[in-house]
Amino acid sequence: MDWAVVTANAPLLIKGLITSLKLAAVAIALSFPLGCLVAIGRLSHRAWLSMLCGGFVNVLRSNPLILILFWFYFLMPILIGKSINDLTSILCAFVIFFGAYFGEIIRSGIQSVGHRQIQAGLSSGLSYRQTMQHIVLPQAIRAMLPALTTQCILVLQGTTVAYVVGYDELLHTTAMIAERTGRPTEMYLTVALIYFLICYGGSLVARKFEKVQGR
Amino acid sequence: MRYEFNWGMLTQPPYSEWIIDGVWTTFHLALICWVLALTLGILIGVCRVTNSRILRFFGTAYVEVFRNIPLLVQLFIWLFVIPQLLPEEFSSWWNRLDAVPYWTAVVGISFYTSSRVAEQIRSAIMAIPQGQFKAALSTGLTPFQMYRYVIMPYALRIIIPAITSEFLTTFKNTSLALTIGVMEITATTRKIEAWSFRGIEAYAVASLTYVLTTLLVIALMTWLEKKYHIPGLIKRDTGHH
Amino acid sequence: MTQPIIQIKQVSLAFDQFKALDGVSLSVNKGQCIVICGPSGSGKSSLLRCINGLEPFQSGDIWVDGVGVRGCKNLPALRLSVGMVFQHFELYPHMTVLENLTLAPIKAKGMSQSEAKKLAMHYLDRVGIADQADKHPARLSGGQQQRAAIARSLTLEPKAMLFDEPTSALDPELISEVLQVMRNLAKDGMTMLVVTHEMGFAREVADEIVFMDHGQIIEQAPVTTFFGAPRTERAKDFLQKILGKI
Repeated sequence: MDWAVVTANAPLLIKGLITSLKLAAVAIALSFPLGCLVAIGRLSHRAWLSMLCGGFVNVLRSNPLILILFWFYFLMPILIGKSINDLTSILCAFVIFFGAYFGEIIRSGIQSVGHRQIQAGLSSGLSYRQTMQHIVLPQAIRAMLPALTTQCILVLQGTTVAYVVGYDELLHTTAMIAERTGRPTEMYLTVALIYFLICYGGSLVARKFEKVQGR
Repeated sequence: MRYEFNWGMLTQPPYSEWIIDGVWTTFHLALICWVLALTLGILIGVCRVTNSRILRFFGTAYVEVFRNIPLLVQLFIWLFVIPQLLPEEFSSWWNRLDAVPYWTAVVGISFYTSSRVAEQIRSAIMAIPQGQFKAALSTGLTPFQMYRYVIMPYALRIIIPAITSEFLTTFKNTSLALTIGVMEITATTRKIEAWSFRGIEAYAVASLTYVLTTLLVIALMTWLEKKYHIPGLIKRDTGHH
Repeated sequence: MTQPIIQIKQVSLAFDQFKALDGVSLSVNKGQCIVICGPSGSGKSSLLRCINGLEPFQSGDIWVDGVGVRGCKNLPALRLSVGMVFQHFELYPHMTVLENLTLAPIKAKGMSQSEAKKLAMHYLDRVGIADQADKHPARLSGGQQQRAAIARSLTLEPKAMLFDEPTSALDPELISEVLQVMRNLAKDGMTMLVVTHEMGFAREVADEIVFMDHGQIIEQAPVTTFFGAPRTERAKDFLQKILGKI
């Protein structure tokens, strides 16, 4: 084994890592609000809205991420009428896909707060919106933090899928280096270690949230 | 939007043959991986709750390693790295196999999924009241018998939702095998798109495969749960899909 | 003749096939303390939830201080006239006791922070837990939490108070401190509608007892009459079971 290959290509690896992290961060920043909307839609009293959001979530969770990526990669230029860059298609796919997953987490977080707290809020003269804002959501967010953290880790793991459309995130960068230098063992083991450290660290944070929540 | 639909092409060879092959590959790949993952996962899950510190450590390490590395990275390692690290005789046997990408995918997806199953088994076992363990042991059963006859049947009923949801996750994960050359349904439809430029029709077939399978499996799961329901047991909501 | 604070007329409530309330009528006058008792599932709690519009009933109507509940366009405003105390207290766990009390006055009544705080502290003092104001509910005992919940409703200065089994979730030794607060409230003239199994409290504090079963009012009588000479078999039966335990 020749680990010098890793150190020699460290700058490229770091660049790939930053690209992956940026991609994950933007995907989370956009899909989380979408998830909130979807969750609220699913909990709505209007049947059509509830079914629409429910359908959205179920369809998206039935499809693999890679297929959703292909859909957007193929469809978006046609829909928009002109060619757009890779990143936009990839981001759209990620945001829609993870929006559904975040939506589920948020919905069950809200439902975990329990209808009696809502009754307590309403019976003291607060409007439904005020009750949600001051009583339900603060508690729901606290309850959801472990699951949300885990989902963020899954988003980061999901960025590797962008490899299939040639986007130069970490895995793609690694693959290129491995091919160029003929040293796949060192490269892939290194990248596995990098992902492991980040994701394991994230899971420890999630566990911390879970303990704190037991108050 | 300018697009000419041509759904008819899907029923013509060669596309129709490719689709049938692709769907079939997806199914048997998913099933083999799922069965292997269940077997391995149950063993590891039990390891994590035994009294032996060594076994517990091993189980935890196993789960953490396979959970925190993206599946795609794991597939690449199985494809490129492991053959290099193994002894000569094994590598040459492996490389002479008929469908190296396929079996690599089997190994990769099975190990990954087994770590998830192990976690679910662990939570199911921990959800079983302590008294059950004590009662079983006090009637003279060995730990192995206790797990085999008392604990596992109980735990398995609790995790029917989780196990079926794990099958669906595995079914979707087979799509990643396309990166190492397996012609499952997503790879097939991508090929159809490349040949015919009719992406919507092609990808619709893939999506339909996944969505219909999901609906079928969920219906099956609901039926199974009703059939094997333990009266008085509160059903756990796993939340996963 | 002054209008009753709460007027319930022929109210019926059904969940799917189950009839929770069946033609219930009741009047609560100012300053009265009425206790509702009866077996589980008799509709007592559902009735309370209909009064402040938490449960939408299908027929009949309820008037709170002259305002009809059924067609009410502004339920939040109506709920300011009638406070509710829950069996499981339902304090908001993520806020301090003081914040629990000041939330609605500020948001629903538009009070200023300082006004609300002054009012809240006054009522916390009245129920005897002014020193717990800055603690989170989890740090208080069950009895203290329920007293805080009562103070939370009082801070809105309602015309009437609804109590839904306020002591059922409390450990026995904590029940008396809550009953004492309720006793004082009744003495000070608060209009109260209380669902409870505490017959000692009912005998001492209530003006009238209402006995419900299967969604209907079976018997309604002044306290002495109800305990001394219950008219219906079911009421007699129920009393025997409850009092036989003591």
